[in-house]
Amino acid sequence: MPGIRALIVDDSSVMRKVVERSLRQTGLDIGEVYNASNGVEALAVVNQNTVDLVLTDINMPVMDGLEFVRQLQTLETPKHIPVVMITTEGGEKQVLEALSLGARGYIRKPFTPEQVREQVMPLLGRTG
Amino acid sequence: MSAAMSKLNESTLNLGPWQASLCEAAKEVFSIMLGAELADPQEVPPIAAPAVTAMVGLAGPVSGVLSLRCSTAVCTEIAARMLGLTGADAEAHRSDAVGETCNMVAGAFKAKLPELQDNCMLSVPTVITGDDYAVHSLAVGKRTEVPLAFQDHVIWLAVEISS
Repeated sequence: MPGIRALIVDDSSVMRKVVERSLRQTGLDIGEVYNASNGVEALAVVNQNTVDLVLTDINMPVMDGLEFVRQLQTLETPKHIPVVMITTEGGEKQVLEALSLGARGYIRKPFTPEQVREQVMPLLGRTG
Repeated sequence: MSAAMSKLNESTLNLGPWQASLCEAAKEVFSIMLGAELADPQEVPPIAAPAVTAMVGLAGPVSGVLSLRCSTAVCTEIAARMLGLTGADAEAHRSDAVGETCNMVAGAFKAKLPELQDNCMLSVPTVITGDDYAVHSLAVGKRTEVPLAFQDHVIWLAVEISS
């Protein structure tokens, strides 16, 4: 089985590195990791590559994470890629909105690799 | 005045709870993301130049600024711990790292106060570095700040809310 191909979306290059580091510390078999700094770039990555998992921030310029999730669901060729939001915005309204738009999980910053693992594993059908 | 601000003013005549929430938020972020413990400082020396101030705006019916001030040496250490880097690699990412740390402290602080949770959004972080500067807020409001010890250094956290 190939490694999990993940897309990390955040306008901060430091935070993208932190998320990747945490993802690789989960013990999951992580393969290729793609990066995008906003929703527009992320949609381009999804259209051009096979992606198994998306981890995305909400507050980003050009296209924010919520709009990205909305547009991901309406692609001409649906991808059904599980999306987990990783963000500092953790109010109930934002969580409910993200989930209603199609996100499958929500992680508030700061986060541990264990929290990432707990959210991601059920979405990938992995049992550890 | 909005209902949110009215309730905020009633609840924050004493900024003690805010200061406690600010400390808790910072300790949580430093512990989880940096593997470092913040403590009450025994002494509070001035921050060695060049200094760094990271700021995150709070916008909405409740508005203000949360800031984190420290030395560049502390910034480099934050980047090193956050990214698992050393030396020049850590230095290259220190501004972004301290900005993201301030962003996470702001988010954690906001999450601890019901009056802020759904009443304000966070801005993109801004980071200033310099040998001799002062930050002045034009907003008239309530301010609280607290020093915390990070290893052998002191960092300052402050939050100011416009009224």
